[in-house]
Amino acid sequence: MAGGSAISGLVGARIHRKEDRTILTGAGRYVDDVNERGMLHCHFLRSTVAHGRITGIDVEAARQLEGVVRVFTGADMSAITEDLSFAQPIPGLHSPSYPAIAHDVVRYVGEPVAMVVAESRYIAEDAAGLIEVEYDVLDVVASTTAGLAEGAPQLFPDVPGNVVHADEQLFGDIEAAFAQADHVVTDRIDQHRWAPVPMECRGGVATFDRATGQLTYEASTQTTHTLRFLLAGWIRHPIHQIRVIANNIGGAFGLKFSIYREDVALCAAAKLLGGPVKWVEDRTEHLVAAGHAREEQLTLEAAVKDDGTLLGLRVTMLLDAGAYPINPPATVYTGIVRTTLPGPYKLPAYQFSHKIVATNKASYISLRGPWAVETLVRERLMDKIAATCGISPVEVRTRNLVTLEDQPTKMITNVTLENVTAAETFARLAELVDLPAVRREQEAARAEGRLLGFGMGTFIEPAPGTPDFWAAVGFPFGAEPARIRIEIDGKVTAFTPQVPHGQSHETTLAQLIGDEMGVGFDDIRVVYGDTDATPFSMIGTGGSRAATMASGAVVYGSRELRRRILDIASHLLEANADDLEIVDGVVSVKGAPGASVPMSQIAMGCWLAPDQMPAGTNTDLEIVATYDGEGGGFSQASHACWIEIDQETGKIEIKRFLVVEDCGKMINPAVVEGQVIGGVAMGIGGMLLEHSAYDEDGQPQSATFLDYLMPSAPEIPEIEIEHLEFESDKVVGSRGVGEGGTVLAPAALLNAVDDALAQVGRGRVTATPLTPSRVLELLGVIEA
Amino acid sequence: MNTREITVTVNGRTRTVTVDVRRTLADFLREDLGLTGTHLGCEHGVCGACTVVIDGATARSCLQLAVQSDGHEITTVEGLGGPNGELHPVQQALYDSHAFQCGFCTPGFVMTTYGMVAEKAAGRPTPCSRAEIREELSGNICRCSGYQAIVDGVERALAGTEQ
Repeated sequence: MAGGSAISGLVGARIHRKEDRTILTGAGRYVDDVNERGMLHCHFLRSTVAHGRITGIDVEAARQLEGVVRVFTGADMSAITEDLSFAQPIPGLHSPSYPAIAHDVVRYVGEPVAMVVAESRYIAEDAAGLIEVEYDVLDVVASTTAGLAEGAPQLFPDVPGNVVHADEQLFGDIEAAFAQADHVVTDRIDQHRWAPVPMECRGGVATFDRATGQLTYEASTQTTHTLRFLLAGWIRHPIHQIRVIANNIGGAFGLKFSIYREDVALCAAAKLLGGPVKWVEDRTEHLVAAGHAREEQLTLEAAVKDDGTLLGLRVTMLLDAGAYPINPPATVYTGIVRTTLPGPYKLPAYQFSHKIVATNKASYISLRGPWAVETLVRERLMDKIAATCGISPVEVRTRNLVTLEDQPTKMITNVTLENVTAAETFARLAELVDLPAVRREQEAARAEGRLLGFGMGTFIEPAPGTPDFWAAVGFPFGAEPARIRIEIDGKVTAFTPQVPHGQSHETTLAQLIGDEMGVGFDDIRVVYGDTDATPFSMIGTGGSRAATMASGAVVYGSRELRRRILDIASHLLEANADDLEIVDGVVSVKGAPGASVPMSQIAMGCWLAPDQMPAGTNTDLEIVATYDGEGGGFSQASHACWIEIDQETGKIEIKRFLVVEDCGKMINPAVVEGQVIGGVAMGIGGMLLEHSAYDEDGQPQSATFLDYLMPSAPEIPEIEIEHLEFESDKVVGSRGVGEGGTVLAPAALLNAVDDALAQVGRGRVTATPLTPSRVLELLGVIEA
Repeated sequence: MNTREITVTVNGRTRTVTVDVRRTLADFLREDLGLTGTHLGCEHGVCGACTVVIDGATARSCLQLAVQSDGHEITTVEGLGGPNGELHPVQQALYDSHAFQCGFCTPGFVMTTYGMVAEKAAGRPTPCSRAEIREELSGNICRCSGYQAIVDGVERALAGTEQ
């Protein structure tokens, strides 16, 4: 349906994307494509030590270089900015504030220590190379263990013991659960640091208009409105004089959710210098300084009955937060892990404790399903319980899963489960897999000296989650607005607070509007990413909310505008509004196509001569509609992964990967599949290749794509998907799928590796990534 | 500033320009010619977003200096479409396959595929199986798609090429 002239039946069809013509022809406007007249360029000089006191900084030679406009030291920048503070009224949270550019202590390699503004980026980088910084090197905290050790170096005076936050929560009678247990099954995982790594690095162009006092910041961000209000305070500029714009964004995956110190320094510099200034980081800066994710250590202890029934679960979690807090506070991550970890299983008792530890590394940031470790540890534990009780991985899950018949019900973490079909996706997966056949194939392979592994898993994805889910996490759920306007010619413009960067909202929201209003797909435009035009949302695009929340907002808005059009048309056509339909922008009496009036005629009347429109009708064709989510809900999926391990090289080859997913009503299956496959690929890359490694001195070891290995096409298998599409009675039956692939795929993959290791009598995986050398260690081929 | 005069043909138009000797080809295309469809994803030759075609062969514009293109013919993503905005068959095949999401890596994949199609049209060996296509794409990184739909698009583009 290229071009999409359809007038109905848009939702559910593989409509070609509005976005694609632009990106395929190279016509997009990504931040680095912006070129304002007189634009200056900036470059940050960054700390080369992980922990140290700045004892001297000499910027004279840099200032003298021809083409340099200004050099800012930390002190210079602090004179025109406030320190960044992400402190929140969360009991026990120690959230230190910090300057845009360091001027006293540096706490990770890559921390900005000076900023050069010059006529070109080449000159700015030359000048940065002329700056001399002297450091008094301090002892380094390179891990959570080191940070918690007695006598450990203290990163911040206001973070005692380097503990950013610690908490323990109890649900149900955990002592009784363990007292009744036939078996206590323990497990642990040390997940390594890896990162979102969008193909476009961070950046922005700040333009200050001295005449009007307006600052415009065109940024590569997921959250225009939040960036705007945080920026206002920190650059001491009134918010009504700030406009944040996002055009094309080259991926984000959670990394562009926060505002960063570079954003603050850049905008403050533009305000001071009175012109456009561009900052675009290079890949090395990105890999070292933009932040990393996932570095967590968890231990688990499960009380189970002989038949594999879960009775209770104790979990401890350590999170390596890096040095500086960003948005959201790290308690949101531990909160989602704690709340989601029981997953779609019946769990009568639960204890969860965590410590968030400050270390001399780049900040811990969001990465596509930031809570993913909960699924990784739970699904690995289920396999271990199965092995302990002598039942199959299918049986252990089937025995404990919450089915549709059990719902509505509450998770042990006080979250309402309704219409959750994880059990149904898992039953279908098990049907497609044929586990006995898998075992026979493995046995045959072993006879030939080959080693095959098989793993599976299931989960629920809070996309968007429920109000009680977010209350348990400690983060607002938030309704979602959209502004919709029927233009003077009957065509439609919609304004969403989403900031899409690959999620295809320009297409999916237009599909919904088209079907709701009876307007052609090509006659609808979706506007995003301009705080002057779009309604407020704290989140923007994140948390896989859009499929439910942004969709709901445009559906409700479209319905109200349609109602107004039909009301007016019923007067003009002297017919009951219920007897009217809108097809391709024309209102007509059903079954009597001759009696019709184009929407364009009604729209022109409403805009130009509302007083001449039928009395008592609402002629306002622009509204802001808000959707509360109707209680929200979850997506769910089950994955199966078949691997072969090369016992000589340690290479893991994924032979087959199967997904059975249910995100409710699919607006556009091609978009859903793109999200699922992309998500799975990221999960595979994270487990097998990618590592934001540091040495014991806090020096980053993966500063280029030669060390930070991104999955390319040959490393990713063909991914098979089956959709279930459970229909609920909600107005909006669609759920998000943006993060789930990345959340669940690592669990299925690691279970496959454990399965292979068990066949040759070796122990389970306890740490990631599963690089070839780590696999050879696990196989006992080389020494650990 | 150390500069040199070069004559270069970009997307069919020949120009003689003075460039800084240390300017990369990618920066020359993007900043001096305004052809910002060529993207920079790593600036060290791994990600492939900056792929262009030089004298018929794909190349990384981030790893070359502009002065090295003196006397050569370059095609960028902007040079593929028809005069009235029609998509090139390679772009159309990728469009029909829902190949991409955020679009940042896209010009690089378009140019790599364009290179493959040109090889096939010239009768040289080109990938046949999906596994071979994946190998051929291994010099381009996409973070969004998981590659499957891109492979669909490349298959479609190659299938549409006359031998």
